[in-house]
Amino acid sequence: MKTLKLLLLAAIAVPAVHADDIIINAKKLYTVSGEVMEPGSVFVSGGKIKAIGNNLSVDGSTTIEVEVLIPGLIDAYSQAGLDQAAERTREVTPDLKTAGMLNFRDRDFAEAVSSGTTTLHVAPGTDNVFAGISCAVKTAGDAKARVFADKIGLMISACDDPRRGNGSRSRPDSIYIRQPTNRMGVVWLLRSTLHAASNGGEGKGMDILRSAIKGEHPTFAVSRTHYDNLSLMEICREFGMKVPVVFGGQEAWRILDDLKEAETSVVLGRMRPSSPNGLEQTRLAADNAARLHKAGIPFCISQGDLLEQARFAVRNGLEPDAALKAITTSPAKILGLEKRVGAIAEGLDADLVALSGDPLEFTTGVQWVMVDGVVQYKQAGE
Amino acid sequence: MKCYKNLFRMLAVCVTAGGCLTASAQDVAIKGATIITMKGERIEKGVIIVRDGRIAKVGADLKVPVEATVIDAEGKVVMPGIINVHSSAGMSQANESNDNVPFLSVVDSIDPALTFFEESRRNGVTSAAVVPGNSTMIGGRGAVVKTAGGYVNDMVLKKDVGLKISMAPRTGSRLAHYAKLRKTLEDVVEAQKKRKEKEDEDAKAKAEADKKKDDKKEAAKKPAAKPKTPAAESVTAAATREAMESLLAGKLPAFIYCSQAMDVTNAIRLVDEFKLKPIFVVGRDAYKAADALAARKAPVILDSRLVSWRTDPRTREDEKIVLTKIFQDKGCEFLFQADDRTIGLGSHYHWYQAATAVKYGMPKEDALKALTINAARALGIDEFVGSIEEGKDADLVILSGDPLKAATWVEKTLVGGEVVYEREKDERLRLLFEPEKDAN
Repeated sequence: MKTLKLLLLAAIAVPAVHADDIIINAKKLYTVSGEVMEPGSVFVSGGKIKAIGNNLSVDGSTTIEVEVLIPGLIDAYSQAGLDQAAERTREVTPDLKTAGMLNFRDRDFAEAVSSGTTTLHVAPGTDNVFAGISCAVKTAGDAKARVFADKIGLMISACDDPRRGNGSRSRPDSIYIRQPTNRMGVVWLLRSTLHAASNGGEGKGMDILRSAIKGEHPTFAVSRTHYDNLSLMEICREFGMKVPVVFGGQEAWRILDDLKEAETSVVLGRMRPSSPNGLEQTRLAADNAARLHKAGIPFCISQGDLLEQARFAVRNGLEPDAALKAITTSPAKILGLEKRVGAIAEGLDADLVALSGDPLEFTTGVQWVMVDGVVQYKQAGE
Repeated sequence: MKCYKNLFRMLAVCVTAGGCLTASAQDVAIKGATIITMKGERIEKGVIIVRDGRIAKVGADLKVPVEATVIDAEGKVVMPGIINVHSSAGMSQANESNDNVPFLSVVDSIDPALTFFEESRRNGVTSAAVVPGNSTMIGGRGAVVKTAGGYVNDMVLKKDVGLKISMAPRTGSRLAHYAKLRKTLEDVVEAQKKRKEKEDEDAKAKAEADKKKDDKKEAAKKPAAKPKTPAAESVTAAATREAMESLLAGKLPAFIYCSQAMDVTNAIRLVDEFKLKPIFVVGRDAYKAADALAARKAPVILDSRLVSWRTDPRTREDEKIVLTKIFQDKGCEFLFQADDRTIGLGSHYHWYQAATAVKYGMPKEDALKALTINAARALGIDEFVGSIEEGKDADLVILSGDPLKAATWVEKTLVGGEVVYEREKDERLRLLFEPEKDAN
């Protein structure tokens, strides 16, 4: 069927051959959304994946041979390109958008693309309880086209971070005083702000909060300890709101049943493979990812070095298939970007990564990375 | 109750991971494993027979003595214990605040109870060169110790493996630091020369006195001039002199830390001038001197951050720096260093460092050699460890699969023929996976 389609395509393509038409033949092709093909080929044109099959041939296209091909990876939690990740003059900034404030010269982008990541979900920092609106951005390419989804969701900080650096040492009438100063304050600010919004409160970003409560757009909450996860769920119950996607989730292993019941997903924070403790003195479980997978809770791996983290997850008990999904299709679904990125499938963006071998072995290197049909990174010597 | 539980756990950890080195008379036979000897071909379904802590025999079709304790390693892989070539984590306070302390030895500061040693055994490291830190000009002498044992004296494999010298100033200018280091070495040469002259003079005086003694008349007139005995040397001065003279004689190698490329040039100048035997410990930014280091053919120990990024200050271009690739391309043989802290994803594991090198193009066999036999050679301990050969210490790692594979774990570690680590009894590892079983 696919071959047939391609023949048809080839016939159409003949009169207008694009300069960027590329066929990639891989000895092993991980589509991730579908099956593993050995061998498999992808036809890329106009920055999109046009066809997948075997022995593809299109007149006038360039052919590249690779060992292993996987989809470009998606990092669901990044602060790349943000110099100051929060606006500290206010505690509640749901109207702050990361899309307009990215510095594309940030080294984080170069680092990300070199390790196979092609999409970053750039979220505002955690200084504010309601932090702002996140966006999705490609790690390389034309700066004007790189932000491909400027409103992904509302970021909430249901963790210890918003109170950090705030104290009541200064004069009470000081304009520099900042709320909250402890964890109770964080939860209270969450609750009181949502209360104000649901009671028709006026002010910057209140509409955003109202639509968040109604579930009109996704919400994400940085929440690491299990008791912060539970407080978050409690507040959501109070306002009849869907539980946000949990970012961090260092102690997700403690409350698998609650997470499952809340029908939420988890964006796992950067792993510490051999440490018993994580941020905010969370107690880590080395097989946190494997446990989420077993419990059937959608999750993904985030915060840089995605392949390396996935490899450690496999080492610590996660099935290889699930690990690969956790850095491709799964973050795409959690962010609502599955129609654009996350897999090798017809119609998706041509974000592809060529590897020297098994994706989940530490000894496998990234050979080149393609973003929107253009090779943007090549390992030296390739 | 909670308290007791904790105590019990601690005891359990001590028993499982503490290891002990009592010599056992019984032979040990490791059967059925794929053996990576680091010397020639792999042996499939091989047998290693251990007697008195040493490797007695290795081969494919060996008869196992009836009285031997058999370790069934069917389907597993055995390789020589990994050698940590440079670390300051096995000791407390690695940097002395006085910047010229060649008389100090790490042996006096090694704490066998540190988790460093337990972590080493857990990850298949059986010997470790514990070396003073990078911020003291002449920081003292390092030692190679086995990673199992209750007392440092039982662990020492080579007491004076090298003297630590740092080319990077802790504070102030590089110029002054270099001048001071050079002056210190010159002073040793000078003092040595003076002492030699003095000794010659004394010998001459003594010979004359002896001659005069023969002439009894002369002797009666005047008492013979007694050869002057030098003022008693302090213990510190004697130890300093001994260490420095052994350094200048090329008997005691120098671990020379170079944080930048310019340090390498300076270090090489000192090596040539004072005929030192160097082991270069190079920082992350010293890669620009890779060709100079390659030309020396001396051991080079790379920084633990094998991959880093650099932004060109003028063009603002980002560049990815892969140390192993740069040194390999320049034809420089190198050794790995692991991170002392556990903050990175895996850089504190030696096997991970080797896997990273393979990822960037190093042949796997070479990477494994760098962890074992090449490391032993660099430290001058290859006569005892570094490969699976008859007569060498039975420092072995039994792996669940091929080394450097993501799913491979250390199953057992043997030091001197004794099992000092067993994964299935590793309480601390179990708690990483089952934190709910922890009292806390």
